[in-house]
Amino acid sequence: MPIHEKSLIRPENLKTHDNLVIDGINVSGHWSTFIEPRVVTDYNESLEDEIAALPGAENIHRCWQCGSCTNSCTINAIEPRFNPRYWIYLIRVGMESELLRDKDIIWQCVSCNKCTYACPRDVMPEGVMKATAHWLELKGYTPKSPAMHFDEEFTEQVVKRGRIEDTEVLRGFFRRTGQPLLQDWLVEVGWRVAKKLPVLWGIKMALAQVFRPRTRGWRRAQAAIEEYIHEQENERREALGLIGATAANDNADVRKPEAAE
Amino acid sequence: MTKPILIVGGGPAGLAAAHALASIGQPSVLVEKTEILGGAPIQSGYAKLVPSGQWAKDAIGGMVKRVAAGNLVDKRLGATVKAFNGEPGGFVAELSDGSRLEAGAAILATGFTHFDSVNKPEWGFGTYPDVVTTTQVEQMISSGKGVRCLSDGRKPKRVAILLCVGSRDRQIGREWCSKICCTVSANLAMEIREELPETHVYIYYMDIRTFGLYESDYYWRSQEEFKVKYIKARIAEVTSDGRQLIVKGEDTLVKRPITIPFDMVVHAIGMDPNVDNLTISAVFGVDLHRHGYIARQDAYGIAGATSRPGVLVAGAAVGPETIDDSIAQANAAALSALAAARGGTLMQAAE
Repeated sequence: MPIHEKSLIRPENLKTHDNLVIDGINVSGHWSTFIEPRVVTDYNESLEDEIAALPGAENIHRCWQCGSCTNSCTINAIEPRFNPRYWIYLIRVGMESELLRDKDIIWQCVSCNKCTYACPRDVMPEGVMKATAHWLELKGYTPKSPAMHFDEEFTEQVVKRGRIEDTEVLRGFFRRTGQPLLQDWLVEVGWRVAKKLPVLWGIKMALAQVFRPRTRGWRRAQAAIEEYIHEQENERREALGLIGATAANDNADVRKPEAAE
Repeated sequence: MTKPILIVGGGPAGLAAAHALASIGQPSVLVEKTEILGGAPIQSGYAKLVPSGQWAKDAIGGMVKRVAAGNLVDKRLGATVKAFNGEPGGFVAELSDGSRLEAGAAILATGFTHFDSVNKPEWGFGTYPDVVTTTQVEQMISSGKGVRCLSDGRKPKRVAILLCVGSRDRQIGREWCSKICCTVSANLAMEIREELPETHVYIYYMDIRTFGLYESDYYWRSQEEFKVKYIKARIAEVTSDGRQLIVKGEDTLVKRPITIPFDMVVHAIGMDPNVDNLTISAVFGVDLHRHGYIARQDAYGIAGATSRPGVLVAGAAVGPETIDDSIAQANAAALSALAAARGGTLMQAAE
């Protein structure tokens, strides 16, 4: 098989055997490479409806595959696998297992919205990327990244008190990501700070850990923000029929993509 | 006095030409080989027409009534022209019923023949009852019976429409685009979705050619309002697993082979030259286009001119054509025919 053709085939579909005899014929070694076909055998017709139900993807059904989004894409220029045109097609046609292969690339959209202005059919591909990332997360296909754990800890504190405590953010982050608090570098930082420690600052910090001060008049803001967040979350869950399910916040909940057909 | 104009073919073009001539007091003879006026839209039982959305039996039926009511059009049904001799202003035609008539000029409005899908056996027509043509789906809709699988009468849950069946295919000598099938298919897809909202409709295409205003009214509307799905793939074969039809091909946008089950497969059949064109060519002494349609002689001077002076042509006889444009061409050809019958000629375009 010519080398350039082999590169078109996914490595897991290339089968060779060190020692295989079929009907008396030795088919061992890479001279007898078998290729497993990867035929699409059905369309998942609910895929488009699910993603279109999330904010931003309402116009996905308009796409006619011209590729203006991919051509104008900031990320595609540096990561050729980032291809909004292709994913929109997979979603529209319902090739879910293909889409899940790219679950670790889709979130890389930087929302520059160049595609939004290039699209001749007002599909709003940027919105589709956002919705698809949410869909992957809500369906439990993608584990939370460390950055996401950090964001959640950070946001939670802001929502509760209108401010953050650096130390607590750090502690929360380590707790959420299952890391020990006593990291070598942190111990080192602690020592160096301790050596020139302004005592008053230290006391303030310690007190803040106990009393957890809130920005003045924050309670009303907290209630409004929390209400908005729950509203948004419920809207998305409702769109996917996930109402009642608890938020998937453990890595243990991550679903494995279905095996390729 | 100007002799009558001989009009061959009682479809939209022939009816339009007869009406145009009658409206200025000019007698004509309308020769139609079948016993029914109206042409393909009536005889093949089309449903709603593009772009008016009117039922064919109302729209074209109205044209038939208009011609049938007047006395300036001499209707000769179930007849064909056997011989046609003479010069512009003084032709003599012999009909299959033995009658002879004088004509000042002739308009060939002889239309087309639907492509016979049996000529693409790999797509399953004639082998599996649930593989049907756009014409059959038109009939299911226009008859009021609804879109049903012919095998067992069930409502199809998933329908595939294959474009370019009998068009753009050198393998079977069809080197033309039939022009209307993309729009007709988008229209049919919307009609199917309207009747059966739970049914998913997929259109397999190589290009989408919903030209002019049909772009937004049919292609875009079918996608945006009716959620019809367009898949860029030319189908290799249609088979069956005994329960459903299996459509095989390559999805060219993802470079993946596909093997998808369907309940119904619809061939968007093209427009062949009229099967009688060789006879028509011999009887009237007009040249044919190399693909078998009646050749147009002069695009910029005498509207509807053929290779023989005084014999004009209009509508799908010259190539795949819409009903609207067939009617427009017929009106233009009627003027050219009247000029020829009166001994004058419209000028050729200056060279």
